[in-house]
Amino acid sequence: MKAKVTISLLLFVCCALMIISATNGPGPKPTYLEFKIPDGWPKPPTDIFAKNRLSEEGFQLGRKLFYDGRLSKDGNFPCASCHQQFAAFANFEHDFSHGFNNTFTTRNAPPLLNLAWMTEFQWDGGVNHIEVQPLSPMTASNEMAESIDSILIKLRKDTAYVRMFKAAFGTTEINSQRMFKALAQFTGSIVSADSKYDKVKRGERVFTTSESNGYNTFKEKCASCHKEPLFTDNSFRNNGLLLNTFTNDYGRMKITRDKNDSLKFKVPTLRNVAVTYPYMHDGRFVTLGQVIDHYRTGIQTNQANLDSALKNKLPMTLTEKNNLIYFLFTLTDSSVVHNPRFAERQ
Amino acid sequence: MQRSRKTGRKWVVGSGQWVVGSPQSAVRSYQLALFLLPLIVVLFGSFNTIPFNTTKTGSVKIVFKNTVAGIPLMLDSAKYKNIFGEPFTVTKFKYYISNVSLENKTDKQAEKESYHLTDARDSISMSFSYPVTAGKYNDLAFLLGVDSIRNCSGAQTGALDPMNDMFWTWNSGYVMAKLEAGSDSSKSMRRLEYHIGGYKASENVVQQIRLHASTPIIITEGKETIIVVETDLSKWWQTIDKITIAENPICTTPGSLAKRIAANYSNMFSIQSVSNN
Repeated sequence: MKAKVTISLLLFVCCALMIISATNGPGPKPTYLEFKIPDGWPKPPTDIFAKNRLSEEGFQLGRKLFYDGRLSKDGNFPCASCHQQFAAFANFEHDFSHGFNNTFTTRNAPPLLNLAWMTEFQWDGGVNHIEVQPLSPMTASNEMAESIDSILIKLRKDTAYVRMFKAAFGTTEINSQRMFKALAQFTGSIVSADSKYDKVKRGERVFTTSESNGYNTFKEKCASCHKEPLFTDNSFRNNGLLLNTFTNDYGRMKITRDKNDSLKFKVPTLRNVAVTYPYMHDGRFVTLGQVIDHYRTGIQTNQANLDSALKNKLPMTLTEKNNLIYFLFTLTDSSVVHNPRFAERQ
Repeated sequence: MQRSRKTGRKWVVGSGQWVVGSPQSAVRSYQLALFLLPLIVVLFGSFNTIPFNTTKTGSVKIVFKNTVAGIPLMLDSAKYKNIFGEPFTVTKFKYYISNVSLENKTDKQAEKESYHLTDARDSISMSFSYPVTAGKYNDLAFLLGVDSIRNCSGAQTGALDPMNDMFWTWNSGYVMAKLEAGSDSSKSMRRLEYHIGGYKASENVVQQIRLHASTPIIITEGKETIIVVETDLSKWWQTIDKITIAENPICTTPGSLAKRIAANYSNMFSIQSVSNN
């Protein structure tokens, strides 16, 4: 009888301890996700999820933040205002984007695709990590115009965020590091690898004759910089554009202060290029035809540091040009542009 | 009532015990196991918290005292002159101290996760302490600035949180030291702004500082030794390279001017006192 009491008492104490630790301690572990590298793709140069383990909860928190206007000063400019899903997370039909208080940005908003393979961000490569990239638009007076401090105050007042930060990171603390890590989990998860081009490569579809001819032209004239499968080598090059005298933007030179980097800009990916117009760092070209015409005839060959691949321009016939455009259309990827997983949660 | 497949014992719902049709001894060993199990769990858990190493530990407190050529720094109102006679009134003075260690010939006692941002406007930020193994040390070493790895490792927190207004958003990297002042010698709206940063090899301004104590720094078990370090901001314009406010009132990008100023201010620290306890 005595033993029975002892056992019951011990069991009771154990149960009580378990209940206490369950309610007070950290919540259940996040549902960790594996970041899948598409077959045949190179490994990302650095693993952006090595110190920011990808989880469903982290991704969903990042997704909510990405679409939340409260990250801007007046509530009107979420990340998604300049990075629209239907434009492959570029800014539809805008050469420059609109920012706080009727201002313009000074560069064209780039698409957010395959960022896990990117180590330098912005057109000039000034930002060195995906996690610190959002700092720039959030605090720029002609973009979201908000301070990190104010953003966090707003987030802490929202019980949904308190719950989601706990689910993603174990405790209810809301700080800038967690916010940036969650955003990186969302934006870093946007992978474009399921366009018609990819399906052709996997043997699931075939190119039309025009597309196939266009692909041959692409491989001959464009692929050295717009390297497959990312359709960029993420380098910085001078592609022979005239200086935009409105923005006086010399690109990479601003970061390196090296005159050899004058007018160099990041080679953008061509994935989803049909929906990311207008084109170039300042959105000066509206159509793909205009872009190709620049390379055919418009390159300023007198620029000292013009990319060596462009010294003789890229001559091509009108048929080649049209076929090239047909090929570029095969890079549109509905698994990004129409994927409900990357859309604002309703 | 359920029957356990393995043992043939029965769990009587509601009675809270196993009913075993075997001799009394089996019951006892089972009770013993039930009694010992929580005990083992508790003991095992506490192994993590009981320190088994027997090294004797004290601590060191490092206090930074900002001066202008020995005169304690007063913000906003006090007027100072640099060696060129140029007047200035300091409005902001912040710098990163990182990777701190106490060293002697054989031992190096480094602070873990060692990142501190001192801010002349926040007296609490001007000192910090950390545990050190008891012994005699000769040198206090630290970096003035943030090591290159942390400049490119993504979002950080604590002293390195970008909210501290010491991180460039357009050209990633920490402002290692920041001095802002009003000065009639400046033609840029009578302002002086030195935001000194740059971590890449060609533009690195991070300074390895090593201060030798004239008398040994003695760390005693359970006690705190205080080292007071004087930071003389008048050194920003002199020591290695002469830099005038008139010529260079503004430096807010990495590059050669930032490196020249950083070379100067690498000489701004000296140990004022060591209080061994």
